[in-house]
Amino acid sequence: MNYIIAKSASEALEALIGGGGRALLIAGGSDVMVDIQAGKLNPETLVDVTAAEDMKGIRIEDGQLVIGGAVTLTEIARSPIVKEHFPSLAKGAGSVGSLQIRNSATLTGNVVTAQPAADAAMAVAPLDPRFVVLSAEGERQVPMGEMYAGFGRSSLDPAKEVVKEVRIPLPAADEKASFVRLELRKSLSLPMLNVAAMAKVSGGVVQWARITMGPVGVGPTRALEAESWLAGKPLTAENMAEAGRLALKNAKPRSNPLRGSKEYREHALPILVRRALESIAKQSSLLEA
Amino acid sequence: MERLNVTINGKAMSVEVDPSLRLVDFLRDNLFLTGTKVGCGKGECGACTVIMNGKAVTSCIIPVMRAQGAVIETIEGLAKGAQLHPIQEEFIEKGAIQCGFCTPGMIMSSKALLDENPDPTSLEVQEALGGNICRCTGYVKIEEAVMAAAERMRKGEEAR
Repeated sequence: MNYIIAKSASEALEALIGGGGRALLIAGGSDVMVDIQAGKLNPETLVDVTAAEDMKGIRIEDGQLVIGGAVTLTEIARSPIVKEHFPSLAKGAGSVGSLQIRNSATLTGNVVTAQPAADAAMAVAPLDPRFVVLSAEGERQVPMGEMYAGFGRSSLDPAKEVVKEVRIPLPAADEKASFVRLELRKSLSLPMLNVAAMAKVSGGVVQWARITMGPVGVGPTRALEAESWLAGKPLTAENMAEAGRLALKNAKPRSNPLRGSKEYREHALPILVRRALESIAKQSSLLEA
Repeated sequence: MERLNVTINGKAMSVEVDPSLRLVDFLRDNLFLTGTKVGCGKGECGACTVIMNGKAVTSCIIPVMRAQGAVIETIEGLAKGAQLHPIQEEFIEKGAIQCGFCTPGMIMSSKALLDENPDPTSLEVQEALGGNICRCTGYVKIEEAVMAAAERMRKGEEAR
């Protein structure tokens, strides 16, 4: 196997193109390395982007939070900029795996590995992120809703494409976001369920809401029924509870021997959606913190 | 084979390596630093934890070539001759060891924490060690050992 350490996103793309489909991009490696060991992946060349200068760092630019494709989850969880603008993203990034995993793994990887309940991917999902993707055809921006092609399948091809960075529009003062999860233990455990939300709440009334949940479908799954029902309604305890119940209409949880049966997850999901909304209500000073 | 320049336990080296190795394989099989253990091989148990550029990482998910130019610390680098590091001494003192398989990883996670944060809270110790699984001792004594080592290191005590 060959190992190429790319110094920039475009150098990584060149290396992938040069590999003709037999080269694979590696960021944190927390999934890629395990899959190589298990024989599920057998790349001729690995193209490492962790030293790519233009894929590092977290910054504000043109009213957007920009997170480099090689930024680790620890860097996101501890970033003062992220904590200030999107505390829910810091929380989600800080919920993945363990500290050692977060010291390597990236937000981009958490999305591209396309698991349905990845905590960082879930936390970023309702924030309307755009993934800046480089390919042989040029650069394009992919919205969250187009990042997933199926269960555990990304719409991106890590043998042909590089996610240079993630761009998230900064929230207005009345836009708040949240992330909640239900787990068996506090570290090194995939969530039984996780939910993230973002809403614009003006004068106590929801202007719009985006609610994502997992693992109840392909990738972070939008609770579209609950979202449209909430729009225009005050963020009251009754309405948050009703939105939780409506979220089930877009959720198809499966049974997992470790992380909860279908029935249990159906019981708990409305509660988690309600909690995610309650967090937004608290941040909007509608509920006591 | 590729040329790898890396500093391990304070010693700079330039060696030929098979780039398909994991960092843990290189440490154990090429350098015979077998204190670093392989547990799950998936980054889920923490037995292979080493410190790379100041951060605790599970060396079973790190490709060896990512260590290019890096500074790596393993359990073998802690003792000074026969003199154990305060964290090692406190693990023994507090009974934070039974079979010992998780211990090198536990100690390297603890060292990464204390290097960055000499006065951690109990919660911070739990976060730092959350990725290290122990199947025999239980975690209370391990946390006590880290807190005791932190106190000694803050006082500037080297080792007893």
